[in-house]
Amino acid sequence: MLDYEWFIFLSPVLAFPISLVAGKYRRNLSGYIATISILISFILSFMVYLQIRGSSTPIYQSYNWFGDINAGIYIDHLALVMILMVSFVSLMIHLFAIYYMGKDPNKHVYFAETALFTGAMLGLTISSNLVEFFLFWELVGLCSYLLIGFWYFKPNASSAAKKAFIVTRVGDLLFLIGLSILYISLADKVASPLSIAYIVNPASWPQIMNYVGTTNLTIIGLLFMGGAAGKSAQFPLHVWIPDAMEGPTTVSALIHAATMVTAGVYLVARVFPIYTHSTGALDFVLFLGAFTALFAGTIGIVVNDLKRILAYSTISQLGYMFAALGIGSVIGDSAISFALYHTMVHAVFKALLFLSAGVILLTMMELRDVKKMGGLWKRMPATMTLMFIGAITLSAIPFTASYYSKDTIIDASWQFFQANGYSLYAFLPWLMLILGALTTTVYTFRFFFLAALGKPRSELASEAKDPSKIVLIPLIILAGISLVMGQFQYAFYDFIDAATIHVTVPYIISMIPTMMVLLGLLITIPLYATNGWSSINITRSRLYKVVKNKYYLDRLFTNDIAERGILPLSSAFSTFESRFSRSIEALASGTMKLGSFFRRLQNGVVEYYFIVLVIGISVVFLMIELLGGF
Amino acid sequence: MNIINMLQSSDFTTLIPELFLGAIAFIMLFLGIKYKNPKLYSAMAFISLLIAIGLLLVFDSSVSQTYSGILQINDFGLFFAIIMIISSLYMVLPSTREVHEKPELFYATLLFVNIAMIVAAFSFNLIVIFIAFEGVSIGTYIMTAYGKSRRNLEAATKYFFTGTIATSFILFGSAFFYISAGTFNLQNVAALQSHSVLIALIFLFVGFGFKLALVPMHQWAIDAYDGSPNSVSAFLSTGTKVLAFLIILRIFLVGFSLESVDVYYLFIIISIITMTYGNIAAISETNLKRVFAYSSVAQAGYLILVLAVVGYNYSANANELAILAGMYYSLVYIFMKGGAFFSVGLVKKENAKIDDLSGLAWKSPAMAISIIVILISLAGVPPTAGFFAKYYLFLSLISGQLWWLAVIAIVNSAISVFYYLRLIVIMFRRDGDNQFDLSPSVYYPVAIAAIMMFALVALIYEFPTIQTYVLGLFGV
Repeated sequence: MLDYEWFIFLSPVLAFPISLVAGKYRRNLSGYIATISILISFILSFMVYLQIRGSSTPIYQSYNWFGDINAGIYIDHLALVMILMVSFVSLMIHLFAIYYMGKDPNKHVYFAETALFTGAMLGLTISSNLVEFFLFWELVGLCSYLLIGFWYFKPNASSAAKKAFIVTRVGDLLFLIGLSILYISLADKVASPLSIAYIVNPASWPQIMNYVGTTNLTIIGLLFMGGAAGKSAQFPLHVWIPDAMEGPTTVSALIHAATMVTAGVYLVARVFPIYTHSTGALDFVLFLGAFTALFAGTIGIVVNDLKRILAYSTISQLGYMFAALGIGSVIGDSAISFALYHTMVHAVFKALLFLSAGVILLTMMELRDVKKMGGLWKRMPATMTLMFIGAITLSAIPFTASYYSKDTIIDASWQFFQANGYSLYAFLPWLMLILGALTTTVYTFRFFFLAALGKPRSELASEAKDPSKIVLIPLIILAGISLVMGQFQYAFYDFIDAATIHVTVPYIISMIPTMMVLLGLLITIPLYATNGWSSINITRSRLYKVVKNKYYLDRLFTNDIAERGILPLSSAFSTFESRFSRSIEALASGTMKLGSFFRRLQNGVVEYYFIVLVIGISVVFLMIELLGGF
Repeated sequence: MNIINMLQSSDFTTLIPELFLGAIAFIMLFLGIKYKNPKLYSAMAFISLLIAIGLLLVFDSSVSQTYSGILQINDFGLFFAIIMIISSLYMVLPSTREVHEKPELFYATLLFVNIAMIVAAFSFNLIVIFIAFEGVSIGTYIMTAYGKSRRNLEAATKYFFTGTIATSFILFGSAFFYISAGTFNLQNVAALQSHSVLIALIFLFVGFGFKLALVPMHQWAIDAYDGSPNSVSAFLSTGTKVLAFLIILRIFLVGFSLESVDVYYLFIIISIITMTYGNIAAISETNLKRVFAYSSVAQAGYLILVLAVVGYNYSANANELAILAGMYYSLVYIFMKGGAFFSVGLVKKENAKIDDLSGLAWKSPAMAISIIVILISLAGVPPTAGFFAKYYLFLSLISGQLWWLAVIAIVNSAISVFYYLRLIVIMFRRDGDNQFDLSPSVYYPVAIAAIMMFALVALIYEFPTIQTYVLGLFGV
């Protein structure tokens, strides 16, 4: 029947109803049930690791569903590192959430939903068919909606949840269209057109190219990237993620580290052969990623909300991952290794940052303005040290994990520049990524210095305290990993793809990212480590306004597109709808009347039946005669 | 010819299942002098019907044509013979409590009816079909009257009167057929292109359409189903209907060979009228059993769609698919309609109204779920067998280029959802304190029907095999 690997995603999915019901009677139980279910997933993932680490044969088991959908599981090394990462980080976050959500009256709902969320993400990762993948993809979207709006009594939270749902839905639609095109091109020609095993198999590509054609393949690639941009918050569909900060911080950690935003990166990595066969789509991925990396970084500098800064940093880091994938036209499948490695690293340190932010916010009564913090390092040294480790990893200070993963991507983009004959357009990705690295350092240390150093700037900040050490254990584990993980860089690359190339660029070029970090520190230390920031006033500058308003993108979406464009259209539809439904009601009552008339014919008197019969048969005869007969 | 030779001749062995059932029926009649326990006879009937299925499977595949072509043994006939016996098997055991007097007579009649059904399933001769059909009809007249209450007798009388008219139509039709073809054996007479062929066609269609309860020959059915004991209604609306469907299929596809006759619009119009009439009348009906009766009329309309597709004759594939869908539909139909009629027995009152079901979901959730499964299957909601039956039927319409007819059929399905869902809603209401009869003779048939709604889905995987049976319809 089912192999044990199925329970990697079934375990949390099954925990969903169990912890919901059990939590109804014993609130505390739900958290443990959810956590244990994810622990099971992690252990099973690890068993899979032990099973297939040495071989390149994936675990593949599937059942046919609706003819040509081979729904099942497909675990190769790529999926394996994802499930290890997702289950591990989610486990850490769940452990912390037992403390963080401890006092919430609805925590059984919370834990049931996060278990389902994780289960959906794990299911997505090991799907053997893109249709199944899409179903889990939607389930992930649904869970994120439920969890972002978990504190539904806050108006911000419920509207943020709606925004997240609607914006990602745009991406989902693009993804679905891409799937449909791919399916139609291959249906009836191959046994299982959307099978992942089929798509990743190099042997099937001559056939696919033959049936699909380069143009359609590029369109499919672009549409898939559209879907990935929605889920992974790339420009211009990133607008949902900063608002999504209205949910509990552990939810943000889940979304940002493990369960949601990496789905888009994983999608592109999963169907990477589609991209390697259409350079146009791949370049689009590269430019979109690189642009987003810089774009989100600049916004991150001017935002004051602690969680939103982290949100923009996620968008920016995801940009790096997509950029890494986009370089695939030059470095081939090594791009997957680079992107996935950064995904792993990012998951670890972003979970760490969010969880430590969660600790801070818990003591600060959800006051998220960094300008109201200050001096926290003295008051909560353990938490802030952990956050510091997260911050230096985020900004890629040498020898932290991100230093290895991110600089490899930047170096690879230099190779892209080289391979394209030093043309100007090929220079842009590298430039944007390098500037993105600068912004990363600036916003990271800006928020960290503002929160940690100086004097407390609010009542709450001055009374902040560390929580007990036990609740910090997950954070400590994460911090340890983000410090040492960089040393396993090449082992990791080889695990994903034994043929991963080692990027070599001129020494001076490889030093530039580090220079950028130093430059960033040179900017932030005088400004924010001291009280210097309060004396300068840039709020009047026009550039500041543009950036502060997030480049007016939200306003474009809500005010112009939604209010001016879609609302009138929607009200027109609604008018039509109400007319239509009135006419349906009229139709229904007419049908009822007709029914009563028919019933009156059935009056129980057999003589009448004969009359109906005679008339009826005569009509049949007439019809036959009139319509031609023979 | 000496009698031993006759018994060993291959023609004769094909009749062994029928002879066996007849022998058992007479044994029952003899036993009836002494023993009066209905359970004994129902058990006997049950076992002998099972054995009859076994005998059919063992003996019938050996020969293909007997008695100079009057009976033709093939997988197609076998399929229908077996599902008609299944429809009897389904009602035999639960019917015991509705048979109060002379149980031996009831069950012996049932076996006689089954003999006639088996013969009809294989016959290719109009006179044999007629006799077998009359055997079924007369047997069911008796079974309908078995309740002995005023209502039963009224139902039986109406059924009998209209039945005689049907009989006369069939006889006239056969006579006209003989005039054109010079034989009662089914063969293609369409090429003859005469008025007597047309009259034969219409008369036969009307005559057999009575049993199938097609509008405008349906009105007896509502009263007869309503007035009979539940198990008899279940049998009337399943076994005899499947029989009539089979005969209409055979007569029209073999005898009139629709390839050259474009009377498919007769079937199209009749099916549209029947579907629409049945569904719309059911919407405003408040008597529970009559709701099912009307829905049974509507279902007959769906069945006739098969003939519409084959008559339109767009492609051989579509035709085969349509007949296949018809076969599957008949099988599913036995359980879904039979289960629906048995579920009426849940209400303890005479003349159950739909409101009498209220509160069922709280008193007996298992029963309520079973009924819901049956109802959604009737409405054609996935993943039940009723959905797949309708799906393949409508698919054959579409692949036969009858798009618009498929649309009408789907709209009709949508209408039918209204009254099926209304029943479900009523079951969940909390008002009223209805008492429900949850005795095994109600419980098991409904539960079995519900289980079959899922189990029969598995049969879809056997479609390639069943598809080879379709050729048997046309004989050799």
